[in-house]
Amino acid sequence: MNQSSFAGNQTMALDENMREQLQEVGSADIVIGIPSYNNADTIGRVIKAAELGLAKYFPKNKGVILVSEGGSVEDTLSVIDALQDKHYFENAFIAKPEFETKIMGTKYVGASGKGTAIKAILEAAKLLNAKAGCMLDSDLRSISPEWIELLITPVIKKGFGLVTPYYSRHKYDGTITNMIAYPLTWSLYGRRVRQPIGGDFGFSLELIESLLAKDVWGTDIARFGIDIWMTTVAICENLKICQSYLGAKIHDDKDPGKDLSPMFKQVVGTIFSLMEIYQGKWLEIKGSRPTAIFGFESEVAPKPLEVDSENIVNKFKEGVSKYLHVWEKVMEKENCEKIKEVAKMENSHFELPDELWIKSLFDFVLAYKKHIDGLSPDEIIEALVPIYYARVASFVRKTNNLDSHEAEEVINQQCSIFEKLKPYLVSRWT
Amino acid sequence: MKKKILIVDDEKNIRLLLNEELTDEGYEVITAENGAVALKMIDEEKPDLVTLDIKMPGEDGLSVLRKIRETAYDLPVIICSAYSVYKSDFAAVAADHYVVKSSNFNELKGKISEILDYES
Repeated sequence: MNQSSFAGNQTMALDENMREQLQEVGSADIVIGIPSYNNADTIGRVIKAAELGLAKYFPKNKGVILVSEGGSVEDTLSVIDALQDKHYFENAFIAKPEFETKIMGTKYVGASGKGTAIKAILEAAKLLNAKAGCMLDSDLRSISPEWIELLITPVIKKGFGLVTPYYSRHKYDGTITNMIAYPLTWSLYGRRVRQPIGGDFGFSLELIESLLAKDVWGTDIARFGIDIWMTTVAICENLKICQSYLGAKIHDDKDPGKDLSPMFKQVVGTIFSLMEIYQGKWLEIKGSRPTAIFGFESEVAPKPLEVDSENIVNKFKEGVSKYLHVWEKVMEKENCEKIKEVAKMENSHFELPDELWIKSLFDFVLAYKKHIDGLSPDEIIEALVPIYYARVASFVRKTNNLDSHEAEEVINQQCSIFEKLKPYLVSRWT
Repeated sequence: MKKKILIVDDEKNIRLLLNEELTDEGYEVITAENGAVALKMIDEEKPDLVTLDIKMPGEDGLSVLRKIRETAYDLPVIICSAYSVYKSDFAAVAADHYVVKSSNFNELKGKISEILDYES
């Protein structure tokens, strides 16, 4: 038997062998989790930074690092074995801590995806009764030990329930965040969290218990929807949220024109589903509030990301013939007509205006909720992808000559327009 | 009941002028000349909103803002600075709004009214 009851009738993502190992460990003050899928090439750096960060900033606390692997756990364990000599402590001039950090790797059990990997880590943190923890992406190349302090200290010393990252990212990195997740979190839930789906975040035991008590692990939350779900739960359950400035995030590139559609469907589908769950909350919220921020701003320029905007426009235009029949069902007539006009634009003058983008997105939200014309949730989200591409292409064109601060201003202005147009969505919701 | 606004600015004239303008708008106004006094007043007077200058002797406004967010998590704060350059400082994102001082205070008054309307 490799699964057992944990919260209600849910099954555990930690297998029996790992649970036994954790019982031998007994307890820990801090748990650092690294969800991974065959990231043996980069995960060693992340583990070392985590271990050094614990030693430098929390030398009197008992720490556990757990890699929750969805691919080859043997490769992950080999990486962990290769770190046995601990030479990197001397290289970094960091003394070994009072308690040696336990570094463990496990293959999680259940639906394949990042969410299940994180669930296993949350289960481990709960079993160990950790006071705080943080999660780190396994493909990070820019992590330093300071990240551990910045993600954990607000929980331990300041009583925050969730610490979200605040990165210096290239203006074209994180387009799902910039075009959808950030503005919707801002406008719906009234909280300006810059990276609501950032993979690196700190959390309290209170948040862990709240998350594990929810029976959602058979949904897209068990995949890429996990990050936005955690942020939304923290906001809606009134946990204190802050941000920590982590500097540049350098990780495996994701060109927004390349196939991000599985991630898009899971993140956006989760956001749309959460809107039904938390409608009692967001329908009442007016305006938006900022989020506390800690850290030290460095002027490290993020790695440039080349984007083929021509390709992105073409993806939108290809989508017209494929999805127009869905758009006509989903969107307000006026918005659909305008989208058709946009599709006829020359690539050199291409633009999807703010208001049209936002109203189109809201139309899709409403169609998702109302199952218009019997369309399935997946069909609706899939039909949104080309319009999202149009928005990305429009943003790329608009910000082509802007520096990162100016591009950030464009993103924030877009969020303000989301906030102003919220009544469009609210008035049609019920 | 009147909403209470705390003005934090090291310039006496600005404090007087803003006090007059916001009192005319129907708010109760209290003032502080630096960050330390402001933090004490936030604790004791429980204002509904703070307008905060950045360039002040001693502790600067962005540092004061960080401390406010630790103790008064959801207290609305509007940065009101003569300089626009700090708007791109990451620490400024913890403020509700950033207003550059001008000869009239219409933008500031608009933002104050927007926030306090939502709050009520």
